[in-house]
Amino acid sequence: MTAQRRSAGLAIFSLLLSAAAVAAPPDFDRDIRPILSEHCYACHGPDADSRKVDLRLDLEQGLRSAIDSDASGASLLLHRITSEDANDRMPPPDTGRALAATEIEMVRAWIASGAAWAPHWSLQPIGPRPSVLRPSIEGGDGINVIDDTIRVRLTAEGFPSAPPETPHRLLRRLHLDLTGLPPSPSMLDADLALLADNPHHYERVVDRLLESPAYGERMAWDWMDIARYSDTNGFQLDATRTMWPWRDWVVDAFNSNLPYDEFTVWQLAGDLIPNASETQRLATGFLRNHMINGEGGRIAEENRVEYVFDQLETVGTTWLGLTLNCCRCHDHKFDPVSHREYFAFFDFFNQTPVDGTGGNPQTPPVLVIRSDQERSELERVAAELERIRKVAVAAEANGLPVREIDPAARVAALAAFNTIPLDRTPEQIEAVIAALTEPEGNHATALRAIEPLQRSRRSIEARAPKVMIMADRPERRETRILDGGNYRKPGKAVTADVPASLPPLPDGAPPNRLTLARWLVDPGNPLMARVTVNREWRKFFGRGLVETVEDLGTQGERPSHPHLLDWLAWVFVEDRWDLKSLHRRIVTSATYRQSSDHRGELADADPENRLLGRGPRRRMPAWMIRDHALACSGLLVDTRGGPPVKPYQPAGIWSETTFGTIVYERDQDDDAHRRSLYTFWRRIVGPPVFFDNADRRNCAVRTTMTNTPLHALTTLNDTTFVEAARVMAARIMKDGGDQDADRVDFAFKLAASRIPTDAEREILLTRLDVLRKQYHQRPGAAAELLSVGDAAPAENLDANDQAAFTGICTLILNLDEVLTR
Amino acid sequence: MTIPDPIGEHARGITRRTFLGQGSAGVGAAALASMLGLPAASPASGLLGDPVRRSGAHHAPKAKRVIYLFMNGGPTHVDLFDYKPNLARFHGQPIPESYLASKRFSTMTGDPSGKLLLAPMETFRRHGESGAWASALMPHTGAIADELCFLKGMHTEQVNHAPAVTFFLTGSEFPGRPTMGSWLSYGLGSENENLPTFCAMTSVSKGTTCGQIFYEHYWGNGFLPSHHQGVRFRGGGDPVLHLSNPDGVPPEIRRGILDDLARLNHLQLEEHADPEIATRITQYEMAYKMQTSVPELTDLSDEPEHVLALYGPQVRERGTFAYNCLMARRLAERGVRFSQVMHAGWDQHRSLTNELYTQCTDTDQPSAGLVIDLKQRGMLEDTLVVWGGEFGRTPFSQGDFADRPQWGRDHHPYAFTIWMAGGGVKPGITHGASDDLGMDAVEGRVHVHDLQATMLHLLGVDHRRLTHRHQGRDFRLTDVHGKIVPEILL
Repeated sequence: MTAQRRSAGLAIFSLLLSAAAVAAPPDFDRDIRPILSEHCYACHGPDADSRKVDLRLDLEQGLRSAIDSDASGASLLLHRITSEDANDRMPPPDTGRALAATEIEMVRAWIASGAAWAPHWSLQPIGPRPSVLRPSIEGGDGINVIDDTIRVRLTAEGFPSAPPETPHRLLRRLHLDLTGLPPSPSMLDADLALLADNPHHYERVVDRLLESPAYGERMAWDWMDIARYSDTNGFQLDATRTMWPWRDWVVDAFNSNLPYDEFTVWQLAGDLIPNASETQRLATGFLRNHMINGEGGRIAEENRVEYVFDQLETVGTTWLGLTLNCCRCHDHKFDPVSHREYFAFFDFFNQTPVDGTGGNPQTPPVLVIRSDQERSELERVAAELERIRKVAVAAEANGLPVREIDPAARVAALAAFNTIPLDRTPEQIEAVIAALTEPEGNHATALRAIEPLQRSRRSIEARAPKVMIMADRPERRETRILDGGNYRKPGKAVTADVPASLPPLPDGAPPNRLTLARWLVDPGNPLMARVTVNREWRKFFGRGLVETVEDLGTQGERPSHPHLLDWLAWVFVEDRWDLKSLHRRIVTSATYRQSSDHRGELADADPENRLLGRGPRRRMPAWMIRDHALACSGLLVDTRGGPPVKPYQPAGIWSETTFGTIVYERDQDDDAHRRSLYTFWRRIVGPPVFFDNADRRNCAVRTTMTNTPLHALTTLNDTTFVEAARVMAARIMKDGGDQDADRVDFAFKLAASRIPTDAEREILLTRLDVLRKQYHQRPGAAAELLSVGDAAPAENLDANDQAAFTGICTLILNLDEVLTR
Repeated sequence: MTIPDPIGEHARGITRRTFLGQGSAGVGAAALASMLGLPAASPASGLLGDPVRRSGAHHAPKAKRVIYLFMNGGPTHVDLFDYKPNLARFHGQPIPESYLASKRFSTMTGDPSGKLLLAPMETFRRHGESGAWASALMPHTGAIADELCFLKGMHTEQVNHAPAVTFFLTGSEFPGRPTMGSWLSYGLGSENENLPTFCAMTSVSKGTTCGQIFYEHYWGNGFLPSHHQGVRFRGGGDPVLHLSNPDGVPPEIRRGILDDLARLNHLQLEEHADPEIATRITQYEMAYKMQTSVPELTDLSDEPEHVLALYGPQVRERGTFAYNCLMARRLAERGVRFSQVMHAGWDQHRSLTNELYTQCTDTDQPSAGLVIDLKQRGMLEDTLVVWGGEFGRTPFSQGDFADRPQWGRDHHPYAFTIWMAGGGVKPGITHGASDDLGMDAVEGRVHVHDLQATMLHLLGVDHRRLTHRHQGRDFRLTDVHGKIVPEILL
């Protein structure tokens, strides 16, 4: 680490501490518990197995016993952490967990100030507390709680607020954040003009985007990462499943703004809701998106237990922000969740008929999904078969009128005749018809129609996707604590319950998933609303108010703005879990709308933007980069929903992984240009174009964003982007006017939502001329470039000219500004 | 800005808070330095973002790099290196119950009681001064036995392929943890400026019936930032995805576009001052460098015939194990820290009498050739070569004993053999042993975590101190286990 980096790191460290350090005595939850958790809990924490001398510093009582002063006024705790005697010193020197001097001072100050105790912040009730209900913030203007909180903190640290973002940048940011797509140039011009007259036009744009169907598609991507959604099982055979109707339901749920509490209950327990609708049952596909292992030699019970682990841990991360997986094998080392409580939680999910055998990608229970057309077709077939049945029954009521045929045929006919008409095999039907006196009569015609109708019915039924959903067995499966998480080591039996550190289940409620789901969304649950608003905040700012969005427990980060987090959570609940309203609240804040420029001292002091002293600026996720390029070129096909599609992918990716057993056969034309959300996701080898994405094996709420040359190679060379550039070139040549400058301006506007500066235009125009000359000097090169991808070649355009503009579009699509939102 | 530097962080005892959220800002410093035109002595940046940190180790390393020849499928230890005359002696007799106590086998075997012992497929003999045993199936490896260190007391906890391979590579049976190569990229940074730090290559013998798959998580970064992921060098098409310019875009045209891309990005950097823009400029430049360096890497015209001959007849054929072994040496020469060369097809449930032979023919000479080639270049002393699979195979037979062409062995985690060469490992020794039937590791037992700890040690890394904070706890490759095996260290 260079000195430069060290000082920057320390600067932000002190920055985040300064408010506490200067202003007030140490706050137990903010300042002391993290120290105890980091240095002491491993041996004096929740984990009974590793606990030493039965001292629990994670509980108030235990801690009190350790800080009680002796006659000399010295507390035992303080004595132990400061002792010079290695035998006395805590933590023992060989653990390498020694407290820093500043931490010791903090503990000393806390004891001196009276040693007030408090539960971990995320387990404290969110409200109604006065500070949450009356969010008047000293120094704020009272207009917007988000902005007041952020500004007051910034001011306290001595930094000025940022100016507003330029309108074009803001509109682009807003469009990409809410829909994953850039504004069209015409819409952009119209909105900019209206904004110039009336700043409140911004809110109308927000509402318009929230109502756009693209909103649900954008929000669904993150939910797919959370739900570990994939179109295949994973593991060796990686069989294809048909969970996509569930994905379409998610899009619809976001678009129709299904309240988040219902969104939750349906996905966790829709099947258990009294008189559950098909949609509610479909929603439970969420829990069945886990991997399925069909590998030969696997032990079924081991598989089954792993599926349940995955389900409950996904729920823990998604709705509780707790790392429950830590308690799979032992008591949690830091958070108040025990090994036993883990398996009590496990019991909720341990009741399905899934037994872990085989790799059926449609392992029951499943929901068969049919389109309206398929439904009516099935009804038509059923009605027709019924008509035939009546005809046949009537004709055969008095026995079979048989003509003279050879004895063998006669025997066959009579045997077939004993089978009721609709159950006869094709051979039996032929045998009967052969014996009829009128082989072309009504009776025979009716019999002949049976087989085609039944084939048609089978084909419709086979085509219908079967979505794996949840259902509980009639008899409860007993859950036992598995020692070390090992299915072969069952211990004591437990029944479904929630951890004791959280509010209890209602008295008398049945111990099932529905009770659990309703408990989760109860306003008294301190975690769910905080976890949710924190994750939603991250969508817009690239970072949660709590950085560790997956962990709001004691080892997670503390919120940078705890008051704001609680206020957002409380209002979210009061708002009846209205996600669109939450999103609106965030994007209409001045904090969201401020300039993203790095400014002066703040840029150095807060490189990670924890204080939110500038607007959010970060690279688009890879899926959005692809959608964006397709939108700029005009290639994007906005068909919604349906089975997944297979757009461009470099040859050999699947077959190399599977030794040639699974070959990628890509789709043509429209299906190569659908939104990224609809791309087929093979779990063992995901689409390489979506770099930095969650791998969809386990629940993922936070993926890191990196910046590598491999990404540059993708956006420069992948067929998706080369085709987009050449089609975008044709678009700007047709729609961008006759002059080069106008065309370059149009291209820039498509991709960056602004007109280039003179300096930028000059660079691009000069490059355009060079490219024209280069393509003129290389006969055939332009034609090669213009044949990349499926899209039809543009007519009436000079090839060299179009190739040159393609180069310009490639350049523009790879600008940092364009890759960034 | 903060750059992940777990070893340095640990050494100074700085709290995790200072380097949480490294994410996208992780490469900014080095890139910014180059933007500002700092002298060449300032930290250079490795290809995939991390600064070059040659001194990031905890102690002086013996090995600078690793070539891991991963034999996917579970090579049969009792047919290759772990000579058990008693298997021939008791061929066809049921395995004594005393060897089976509470052992778990895959569901294909189920209850192992009464399974019949199976003699080694071929004869064994001793080799070299060390007198190491090797089967006639492995003549080339036998011939270099004096360079090798055999570990015959290996054992693991997993009985099925994917979890067992994952366990070997990440220390956990469940996908989601970083692999060893990622940990080293994260802990030690890059030693070169135009190639990845961690490369993976895969092959399979032609005609193999096994269905094992190379999952991407075998070279995955787990919860480490994704630039620590292994870069797969592919057996067909572009060696690295998207390395070639599209049709109709010759290098000089691309160069011009990239020049102006950098110019325009500089203008934005002036306006925004976001260091991420500087990083992006650097990464695009490195992409271009990689487009030049990889074709040079894969151009074998500079390899003399006698060197190519070391690797055997398949060396010129892309996608073969032999080709990948040669490529691993070329990567090692160019400063790649971890090359993971995986070969599948060792899963002989019913094909010991045929597919095992192909498997050995395809891998024996290239593996030995690689060691010889490294030795001749003076690279063996600081290059650690490891050969081995995820488990061994049962000393008793699977399938129809009466039908010789169907002879096979099932998965066996309780004892198996790997070998190591170079990189600070004692040559010409055998460490550990299994019992007289090859059932249990009884001497010099080495658990997977022990092997990992030892490999990291050779690279100058203390496996207990190479950690990453994730979900509130410090993770490491060896979980909370792992003991270095001192007996094999030089």
